[in-house]
Amino acid sequence: MDRPAASCQNAKDTTASRCGGLSPEDQTLMEGLELAVARLQDANPVVVSTALEYLVKEVRNATSSMTSVPKPLKYLRPHYDTLKHCHAMAKESVPSKKLMADLLAVLAMTMSEPGSHEILHFKKQGTINDLGSWGHEFVRALAGELGAEYTARQLSDKKGRKDNFTADLISLVDEIVPFHLQHNAYAEAVDLLIETQSISKLLGNYPLRPEKTLVDDSNFKRVCLYLLRCGTYIADPDDLKCLRQSAFQIYRRHGYCSAALGVALKMGDDDEATPFNTRCKELFDTTDGLMRKQMAFLLARHHSNFEYVEDLEVDAIIGNNKLKSYYAQIPCLPGFTFDADLGRDLDILDAKTPEDIYKSHLGDSASSRASSTSAPNVDSARANLAATFVNAFVNAGFCKDLLMTPDGNTWLYKNKEHGMLAAAASLGMIMMWNIEEGLTIIDKFLYSNEEYVRAGACLAIGIVSSSIRHESDPPIALLPEHVESSSSIIRSAAIVGLGVAYAGSGREDVLDTLAPIITNSDAMIEVAFAAVSLGQIYTGTCNSDIASLIVQKLMEASDASLEISESNFLGLGLGLLFFGRGEKGDAMLEVLKTIEHPVGLCASVTLETCAYAATGDVLQIQKMLHICAEQRDSPLIFPGSVETTENQSAAPKKPNLVARHQSMAVLGIALVATGEDIGAEMTLRTFDHLLHYGEPPVRCAVPLALSLLRISYPDYGIVDQMSRLTHDADNQVSLNAIVGLGLVGAGTNNSRIAGLLRLLAEHAREPSTLFVVRLAQGLLHMGKGLLTISPFHADRTLISKAAMGSILTFLHCCLDMKQTILDKNHYLLYHLASAMAPRFLFTVDVNLNLLPVSVRVGQAVETVGQAGNPKTITGFQTHTTPVLLGVDDRAELASDELCSKSHILEGVVIVEPEQSTQGALECKT
Amino acid sequence: MGQAPSGQGGGPPPERDPEKEKAERERRKKSYAARPPLHTGRRRRRNRGTGTSGKLPKVYPTSKCKLRLLKLERIKDYLLMEQEFIRNQEVFKPHEEKDKEERDKMEDIRGSPLAVGSLEEMIDDTHAIVSSSVGPEYYVSVMSFVNQDLLEPGCSVLLHNKVMGVVGILSDDTDPMVSVMKVDKAPLESYADIGGLETQIQEIKEAVELPLAHPELYEEVGIKPPKGVILYGVPGTGKTLLAKAVANQTSATFLRVVGSELIQKYLGDGPKLVRELFRVADDLSPTIVFIDEIDAVGSKRYDSQSGGTREIQRTMLELLNQLDGFDERGDVKVIMATNKIESLDPALIRPGRIDRKIEFPLPDIKTKRHIFNIHTGRMSLGEDVDLETFVMAKDELSGADIKAVCTEAGLLALRERRMKVTQDDFVKAKEKALYQKKGNIPEGLYI
Repeated sequence: MDRPAASCQNAKDTTASRCGGLSPEDQTLMEGLELAVARLQDANPVVVSTALEYLVKEVRNATSSMTSVPKPLKYLRPHYDTLKHCHAMAKESVPSKKLMADLLAVLAMTMSEPGSHEILHFKKQGTINDLGSWGHEFVRALAGELGAEYTARQLSDKKGRKDNFTADLISLVDEIVPFHLQHNAYAEAVDLLIETQSISKLLGNYPLRPEKTLVDDSNFKRVCLYLLRCGTYIADPDDLKCLRQSAFQIYRRHGYCSAALGVALKMGDDDEATPFNTRCKELFDTTDGLMRKQMAFLLARHHSNFEYVEDLEVDAIIGNNKLKSYYAQIPCLPGFTFDADLGRDLDILDAKTPEDIYKSHLGDSASSRASSTSAPNVDSARANLAATFVNAFVNAGFCKDLLMTPDGNTWLYKNKEHGMLAAAASLGMIMMWNIEEGLTIIDKFLYSNEEYVRAGACLAIGIVSSSIRHESDPPIALLPEHVESSSSIIRSAAIVGLGVAYAGSGREDVLDTLAPIITNSDAMIEVAFAAVSLGQIYTGTCNSDIASLIVQKLMEASDASLEISESNFLGLGLGLLFFGRGEKGDAMLEVLKTIEHPVGLCASVTLETCAYAATGDVLQIQKMLHICAEQRDSPLIFPGSVETTENQSAAPKKPNLVARHQSMAVLGIALVATGEDIGAEMTLRTFDHLLHYGEPPVRCAVPLALSLLRISYPDYGIVDQMSRLTHDADNQVSLNAIVGLGLVGAGTNNSRIAGLLRLLAEHAREPSTLFVVRLAQGLLHMGKGLLTISPFHADRTLISKAAMGSILTFLHCCLDMKQTILDKNHYLLYHLASAMAPRFLFTVDVNLNLLPVSVRVGQAVETVGQAGNPKTITGFQTHTTPVLLGVDDRAELASDELCSKSHILEGVVIVEPEQSTQGALECKT
Repeated sequence: MGQAPSGQGGGPPPERDPEKEKAERERRKKSYAARPPLHTGRRRRRNRGTGTSGKLPKVYPTSKCKLRLLKLERIKDYLLMEQEFIRNQEVFKPHEEKDKEERDKMEDIRGSPLAVGSLEEMIDDTHAIVSSSVGPEYYVSVMSFVNQDLLEPGCSVLLHNKVMGVVGILSDDTDPMVSVMKVDKAPLESYADIGGLETQIQEIKEAVELPLAHPELYEEVGIKPPKGVILYGVPGTGKTLLAKAVANQTSATFLRVVGSELIQKYLGDGPKLVRELFRVADDLSPTIVFIDEIDAVGSKRYDSQSGGTREIQRTMLELLNQLDGFDERGDVKVIMATNKIESLDPALIRPGRIDRKIEFPLPDIKTKRHIFNIHTGRMSLGEDVDLETFVMAKDELSGADIKAVCTEAGLLALRERRMKVTQDDFVKAKEKALYQKKGNIPEGLYI
């Protein structure tokens, strides 16, 4: 420090003019730096090295301020080029050359041209170790350049010399990542690894301490959470695979097996080397009994077809055999608080009649009286049918109701034909998950004289065992003979029943039963239903046999037979086969292009969107938007947007089919965007534009697509928008919006939606509107508010393919409401059975018996990338389990003495006391 | 009451079969299904659209990282697609003509001239009670093209001249008292004009400017940025100057107010002004509010019989509430300045309201030298001037005093029409300045 001080006096006059407003210390510093720079050009290496040391010391000691550039850096700016020149001139042998490079790298942080990557350039020539001594900001800047440089090299060099070409960068990465992780900057570390495509390094150890892993107990949850969230937005499949694998390995290494299983479920079969079943088996083999059971509960909720033959008890859990007993326990518990807001018991023990749901007495008395007296056009058959469905949905799984289960079957015979079918099938939904009792009740209808009742019973058998893997396996034992029945209605019902029963199971014996129908049957309806059922059963498996069967049928079928609206289900079946598998469906798309009939176009749109379902792939959405933007050449095909009741029946079917693919595309946008929050929110905006500009086929699909984004999730904004759409001038739009309201509120008992629907029911002018309103009311009160049909679970990270498939089937029905739900094929509604799941948090002890514990339930908060231990829920209330969870609710254990086996408190969770476990998980996720 | 005036139009229909007509009317009546109210609460939140759209989703995490980048890019992609879609659609169906037609129609419905009234109460989504300036109140319908979000009790509305239906909203003007507080022209003083005070500058930057510019830095560390700072110190040490420099530097809205301005003639006007001030600040956020001489309203509370004092105290209570009350303030930062911090109410400067207290001490020798340099920088000094003697003198000179000394010296030189300021001038000027400062008590008399 003495040297600069001495020079200060001499140089005072000369510098004073240049650095006008500097304080004396600053001047001293500046002159010192200038002198040092001058000395660097000295020939004497000793002088050079002392000058260099002085510079290094000044730069390092500069207390970096948030608000301004550190002073030494500022004053060295004019000399940057001189320093660079010095460095270039210096001989290799000079020991200070490296230090000089280090210094230059730091200076380059502020002085280099953007894009020149000079930090990296100099750092590579300097010492690579001990980056931290130059400050965190420097390490960040260096990491940023590394990523940019890596990407640039990747782009310029495609010849596969990757490994040696980027080796120099990777060695720096190895240095930076441990530094970041050590200093709690895990997001930066992961970012760098993603950018340099070496995410698997996270699994490694610290460079000099082989016993210490990079990701340890203290930070693995954050790191993995961040990794997985990033995964949602990474387009490259290889990177994604690598990323998820790393997350899986880390979770597994830290004994966080349920989370690891979650990642494995997300990966599915995308990784060719280890398909899901192998990975899952391995995971199950290495864990203890309790954890296995917990994982089995997760698999059960996912409708997975994984079988674990080593442990029958675990296998039974995966087969959902416990579901019945847990579900049945809920209403019987005395302390069970039903509604979080009111905190009082609702009488859900008693069976409810449809009138309990309609609550017409609550309506405006004058108008309801008017509608009851002066409504000659009430269609009693349709009203009865509506009552059947409402009754089925509301009492689903309760094994008790007031219409069907009492003796005498009076209700059944109040219906006619297809109404009977629906009524008989509703028994299946009421007895859902209770195979033993359900079968005895349904059995007698199998031998009824009425073929419709027999058909209904077939369907009921399927519904009873939906999402359950039971050892007696009744559907496959009973239904195949009905598939070959002489009556077409029984055949169709049995086919649908098989689809409902085995959704997502991938059962080969069912394939053997249904495959001949597709090839041999002449009735397009049956072929279509079989295609959907097979699609449901083999969802996301890319089964090429079934795919080729369906495509062949599409090619061979005559145009006339494809004319009926059900033919679109062929495409849906095909789409479900490739559900979520991305590029795997491309080959099939090519084949579909050869089909000239509009059905082919619909099928390809469906297939494409299903293949990219829930990926948030922007390119797909763009493609679908283009389809929506297509203009019809002649406006004659669509006679105005307002279809009056009179010409509804007369309206030709054909134009519907021509533009059908546009409706599918709208649904597809929602399907692709769902499951990813940003995309879903943005899609809402897109739908606004579609509503504004769209042609009728586009507009009529928008309410359905909106509801697809928010299944069982009555968000304020969505409900608001839907209620506006229910008053749309276009009848089709308003009908779909009403159904959409039902879907949005499915199983939530949302009072707001209930009020809206009641109003709609009062003012409904047509029987079809009233029917749809009733249906929506039934959906809203599904399972008396204990059920959900949301395909998302495990904190909205996983999507159950079977559930999504059944919802898609339902939505496709709604697209053509007049031909399906409002006509004779209303029993397709029962497809929803495979999406139903209880929305409770049910804590059990190690023996899998109910263990009431207190939990906090509140709205979920996104905590990724936040510092410290942020709260995961907000606005919570404390309850005693079992409790009901909404779609965006999250729970955490209230006491520290217990810990759960699962990383997410949802569904059935095994809880045990903290001290008894070794290496147990923390309760907080 | 209760007859909607808009409902009475149209003459008697032409002769028809009465039965049929009745049925027809019945049908039409029923077909007019009342739209359910879209909002349950009477008071709606500001800035909230009815629809789902209009706002972009919030992006978490807020710290800079790849995840955030990816999410933002995703939003950008969607916006690009929207743009593309709309552009394509506009090519096919240009909407200008249609828009013009509709606008004309709307003008017809509005009619002219329009009456101005104030909205008393919303009955449901389509009806409201309004009062006109003359007195009577009317139950009228609200046209569907009126933006429902902006309608709130008390706002001025445009009424149709005959049926008195609400056809428009007059945008709620802010209190003119507040609008003058807004600093439109940035002051000329910048940070460079401040001698010394480096730590103070850094502190105020960290507390006020940076949270507005880079909120993510605070999130990264996991702290909430300070809400406000108070600058205190003996007079003339540069508190106001620093605030001016902040105003000069920042791109945020800068509202400045002097404590005494908040004291109003009528009861309740002061608190109202404070509320208004912070509401405007919230509307224009990010905002920096600078309250100079806060001790005018912020002095300690005590039992007082005088109505005026109590009113001042109530004004301060409102200020307390605005600073850290129930409502969350967004990007509003508060700077206060006083030279009597010890007399301020402790509640006003507790952490949470004012998180940083920045002291402005009298300048030390180094700073004094700097300040002298700043002020004499553009003066023509004589050869004999030796500023060091003043700098090293033991007098307690504040920054303002130094400025006064320099100016006084200049004036003395001017008196003799000299072009140079001499050392003599400075000595005299200093004596004079200090004499004035000590309040006519000659220096050293009582020492």
